[in-house]
Formats: sequence, structure tokens, C-alpha cells
Amino acid sequence: MHNMHVNRKTLPVLPGLSPRLLLGLLLSSCLAMGQTAVTPFEKLPDWSGLWNMMGGTVFDTATQTGKGGVVTPGVREHPPYTPAFEKIYQGHLALRDADRYPDVITNCGVPVGYPRILNLPDAYEFVVRPDIFYIVTENGPNTMRVYTDGRKLPAKEDTWGTYTGVSVGHWEGDTLVFQTIGLKGNRDNDSILDRTGLVLSDEAKVTTRMRKINENTLEVKLVIEDPKALTKPWNVTKQFRKNSKPAQFMYDYGCAENNRNPADPVTGKTLTLGPDGKPLN
Amino acid sequence: MKATNIAAGAALIAAMTIFMVPPILAHHSSAGFSQDVKEISGTVKEFQFRNPHSWIQVNVADASGKVTEWSVEWGSPNQLGREGIRPSTFSPGMNVTIKMRPMMNGTPVGGFVGAKMPDGKTIGKWDTGDGKKPAYE
Repeated sequence: MHNMHVNRKTLPVLPGLSPRLLLGLLLSSCLAMGQTAVTPFEKLPDWSGLWNMMGGTVFDTATQTGKGGVVTPGVREHPPYTPAFEKIYQGHLALRDADRYPDVITNCGVPVGYPRILNLPDAYEFVVRPDIFYIVTENGPNTMRVYTDGRKLPAKEDTWGTYTGVSVGHWEGDTLVFQTIGLKGNRDNDSILDRTGLVLSDEAKVTTRMRKINENTLEVKLVIEDPKALTKPWNVTKQFRKNSKPAQFMYDYGCAENNRNPADPVTGKTLTLGPDGKPLN
Repeated sequence: MKATNIAAGAALIAAMTIFMVPPILAHHSSAGFSQDVKEISGTVKEFQFRNPHSWIQVNVADASGKVTEWSVEWGSPNQLGREGIRPSTFSPGMNVTIKMRPMMNGTPVGGFVGAKMPDGKTIGKWDTGDGKKPAYE
């Protein structure tokens, strides 16, 4: 597998020790500490190449029309919000309809966070290693790390709310399973799930299962639990299609390079700047 | 440009009309754009092939000769580059006709739908795009 070849090269190599021997030592260490054994390279799936999210950037397309554009079982028609968060969401929808709901990423300053990182245009890379899994997005750019080296999730008091949180996972055959906690949610009004104004709270916990359902399709199933924001688990399915063209490159995405659409800090309106930098609208 | 390069470029552009990957305006809300498609013909002033979105600056003259500079927004160069678009696709001085979704407030800004090039070739959703904007990409 292409990924295996590249990734083996990235393993730290000590004099006289082969990567295979090092991996064996890592496995032994994990087992000795009572942790889940890491899955060796040979048993990991090949998720190499560039991928694109399928569909538009509405996080749960089932919420877009009320009828749903996804037929995968388990996709909900609407987030099962608590009354308080339903009120917040409806407020965001009203602002959106008035073109006054700025997307926090429009000003090119903050990560998109989780799970919105699964909801972006442009290319993705899914980097599989025994000890860690990376989601690398061109858009943003954004990076997410999922530790698969046998460690446990930190205690809640040892997290403080970040955009992407902390994620720990393991492999069940060809399926990567991980949990994410420590998300900041809507605490600072700068982390949303999509431009309709979907938000979660800082109590959110996301369980993610990722697997290839065929050679060119990755499926991601999310179960989102959030005692503040949701009355019951919210199930969302995302899919990614592999770019079939050979030897495609990932590129820079300097969001601030030529951002002609900043949000007005007062009105929240998305501005359009002319080539001279002055607002046109 | 050699004939083979021209043919390859044409093939890439043709492929783009089929495989254009949505969404293209995901950096910000598309709420300000109209559902309707407007067509403008003019001269390319500049093609800003930079992130987060590409912009085609086009000078358009009306019947009285008054020139208005239109700003037509397109996808990220990363995305467009993988589909065969290059900074040279719209070169200064080129005469083009562009289909776009104009902003509803009347400013000379639009979201790219498709274009007809000087040689008659088309790119984007010139033939198939109905201009309907996706819901809040």
C-alpha cells in the first residue's frame, strides 16, 4: 500500500532497530500498561489519495429540506435539539435569512473544528498510521488528530474546550472508531457545524465510525451526544469520494490571501470587496 | 502553445464541464446572489487566481459606451486547478461572455456559472447550469 510505504519512512528509527521491531516494542509496551494494542501497518486499510466530501456543505442534509437528501438509515430529519438550543438555532436561521449570520471562517481566523471538519469543500487526505490518524483538509487549512496508540481519553476536568477537541480511537477491522470530547461548542460563538447555524454545546461527545464501503467511497457515521443541546443522540452520515485522477496534488489554501468576502463586524453582513479592497455592497 | 497542448487544454475544460465538483462558493454565504442567471459580454481585465476564491474582473460596456467593471466570483484555485483551469484561462484583453448569478442588491458582482471563450468553447455549467443556487452553502 502506498500509505504504508510512506508512513514507515516516517517512523522514528533508532540505530540498529528496524521499524518492525520498534512497532513490536510499542505493542508490548501498550499491552504491559493494560491499554488497547495498536493495529500494525499490515492490518490497516489503504485510505491514500485525495478525497472530496459528497454533497453540499449543509452538515446534515436531512436538515436542509426537512425531507432529507440522504437515504442512509439513521439520518435524522432535524437535530433533536433541546428547547433552549432549538431557540438558538431558530435565531441563527432568522439571521441567515436576513443575510446577517456571518460564518466564523469567513474572516479566515479560526479552525472549523469538529465535526465541521467533515463538512468542507476542496480536497481531503486521510492519513492512516498505527499510532495516529490525521484528517488533513486543504480548505482552511485544517488538521485533526485521532490518537490510536492505546491511550485513553482525558478526564473531563483535563479538557478546556477547543475547536477540534481531543480524540482517541481504535481499529475494529477496517473500521476506525473514535470518540471526541473537549469541544468548545457554542461557548464563544465561533464554532458552528454549518452555515445554517447548527451549533453544539461544550458538553458534546461525538462517536465516529469511518470505513470504506467500496474502493472509492469512505463512509463516516457520527453519533453526537450532548446533554445540553440534544434530547437524544443525533445520527449523521457523511460520505467522501476518492479523486480518481492520478497524482493529484494538495495545495496551499491561504484563506487571507485574497479574501474579498469578510464579514462586517457590526452588522454581520458578508461584504464583497472590489479589486481595490473597498466594499462594493 | 503547441497543438497538442491546446487539445489537452480543451479536453480538460471539456472534462470540467462534466466533473465540476460542488460547492464552489463555500468560503462564505451565497445568500446575496440571485437565483436568476445573467449574461455579460466584455473584456477580461484580470483573473485573480488566488484563494479563497478566484475572481474574474470583466469590463462591460453598455449601449452608450459606459464601461462597468464586473467582479465574477469562482471557486478556489486549488479546486479549479485540479479541473484543468489555469491562471491563463482568462487572460487580460480576452473577449468573453459569462453567465453568472448577480448579487440581488444590484452591485456589479456575480457568482460564476459558465463562460463562452473567444474560440466558442464553453467552460463551467454553460449548457447545463440552471443557475439555481444551493441552499446556504
